[in-house]
Amino acid sequence: MRNIDLIAEESAIRHFGGRRGRLTVSELLIMVVLIILALAVVLPLLLPWFFVFKTRLEFSYNPWSLPKQISWTNFREAWIAIQIGQGLLNTLKVCVGAVLCTVPSAAMAGYIFAKYRSRWTEVAFYVVLMGYFVPVHMVLIPLYQLNTKFGLVDSMAGVFLPMTAFGIPFWTIIYRSFFRSLPDDLAEAAKIDGAGHFDVFLRVMFPLAKPATVLAVLLVFIGAWSDYLLSLIMINNQRLFTMQLRIAQFMNAYGVDHMPRYAAAAVIAAAPTLILYIVGHRWILRGTLAGALKG
Amino acid sequence: MKSSVDAAPMTLAATHDGRRKKRLDYRRLLFQIVFLLPAVGFLVVFMFYPIEETFRTSMMQTSALSPPTFIGFENYQRLFASAEFRKGLANVLAWAFWSVVIQIPLAFFIAFSLVAYSNRLTSKLRVIYYMASIMPSAIVAMLGRFIFAPRFGVISTIAQRFGWAWLQNVDFLGDPSKVFWSLFAIATWAYIGFGIVYLMANIEQIPMEIREAAELDGANRLQYALYVVLPMVSYPIRILAIISTVGSLKLFDVPYLMTGGGPVYYSTTLAIILYKQGFVNWRYGRAAAVGVIIFLLSLAFSIAQFSMQRKGGELD
Repeated sequence: MRNIDLIAEESAIRHFGGRRGRLTVSELLIMVVLIILALAVVLPLLLPWFFVFKTRLEFSYNPWSLPKQISWTNFREAWIAIQIGQGLLNTLKVCVGAVLCTVPSAAMAGYIFAKYRSRWTEVAFYVVLMGYFVPVHMVLIPLYQLNTKFGLVDSMAGVFLPMTAFGIPFWTIIYRSFFRSLPDDLAEAAKIDGAGHFDVFLRVMFPLAKPATVLAVLLVFIGAWSDYLLSLIMINNQRLFTMQLRIAQFMNAYGVDHMPRYAAAAVIAAAPTLILYIVGHRWILRGTLAGALKG
Repeated sequence: MKSSVDAAPMTLAATHDGRRKKRLDYRRLLFQIVFLLPAVGFLVVFMFYPIEETFRTSMMQTSALSPPTFIGFENYQRLFASAEFRKGLANVLAWAFWSVVIQIPLAFFIAFSLVAYSNRLTSKLRVIYYMASIMPSAIVAMLGRFIFAPRFGVISTIAQRFGWAWLQNVDFLGDPSKVFWSLFAIATWAYIGFGIVYLMANIEQIPMEIREAAELDGANRLQYALYVVLPMVSYPIRILAIISTVGSLKLFDVPYLMTGGGPVYYSTTLAIILYKQGFVNWRYGRAAAVGVIIFLLSLAFSIAQFSMQRKGGELD
């Protein structure tokens, strides 16, 4: 991971160095196109602000003018309708559950597949690898029946346990390749000092795998954060609705006819993710890159 | 005689060694089993057992009143006979095709430009391009409706403001001929960031020497992009193509939230049909059959990906 970063930085510096001060017409043109495209990415997140302070009447006459006065009524109504606070709490429960179940399981399995290679662990690895190719959509019906049997419908565990199963294969692959890149010497030294298999993992190898763990925690968290389909199927009780379910419910219940209120809801709905991204974009980008290059 | 004397201690040593190894192996084995147990347990309970059940249920007629009965492939036959299912299949295949043809070249253009013209601005642009990709699909759908809504949406109000009558009353989500492209546009907005970041990472790994050599040979940027960089990232581009294809087969959130598959079933997808059959009509058998079809199609594409990965030697 660090290597990729270094290479990226280095090449960025070299490219920059080579081109400094010479801005040709084609370069300028490309820059303009790039900026326009970037604006296109940002605009859907910015445009709601034109509407949010307006009453319905003001909106229908002058949707794109500046608001005559700043009124927070739309925000208040949207906030009450979405109840995003309770939704955030439920979403966080799913995220934490998914992280706590996925990361240790994948780290342990990846460790065995990397450091205890034998014919039967290879077979086990291919079994886990097969799971990487299974879309969760395929098994929704049996999953729902299974959760009914276990009494997991309308519980956060009913969402994050299946999510864990579908996240484990990918993260096991990542951990496996990470542990394989670690030298055996340290483990051997600890073994000579009398450490057992478990001690070697817990005290030596797992701490060394911290970059992989940070990555896994971050991306599993984001995956659980964004989930819609599993929560849609497993959760019927409105009080337990996650953030995404509440957003979807607002869309269907209130619709776009009261556009200023809808825009306010969009601003509120996007805010937690935007804050998450602004705070952690370096990690998120780096994690996506490492995941993409290894996966 | 001499040889047997010699052999005796050796066999003793061997058996002794073997026994010690066996005792150790037992501990090692126990450790391995304990460490694999959580992962394998999760997979067996929440994935492998449900897969078996999906295949079994897809051959069953299910209803709330009577116990399931075996009907062979009738669910599949019924599906392929229904216009709705055929439209859903056509939609996801068209979606897969257009995402390869439109999104990947666009992602390549942006990724190449960001690397080739890299300066302080472009590193900020990369952060911006990925911003939409992190948005949960519910929010993507919400912003999508905000843009495409009739009368009150962004496009419609802008058209009103400038008096463009031809654009003013276009029903982007309600017109069967436009709904696919409206959804596709918003999905491109949401998903292209990953392709850009992924291709950038691969383009940045191309050594500077190659670029210098190309410049010495008199290649301009366009030639460098098309004849040097493009062949060098052909492997990641193929991977990206398969990721978008498999993603298209699983398409659910954005179309379901924006149109519910409508108008009628013009923007439906395989996953929307599965959801509606299973959790609206409670026809588990039919829904499971859709699940099997999604699985087999994505398996076919994933095997392609896997074999390419093996060829590229990136798995190990």
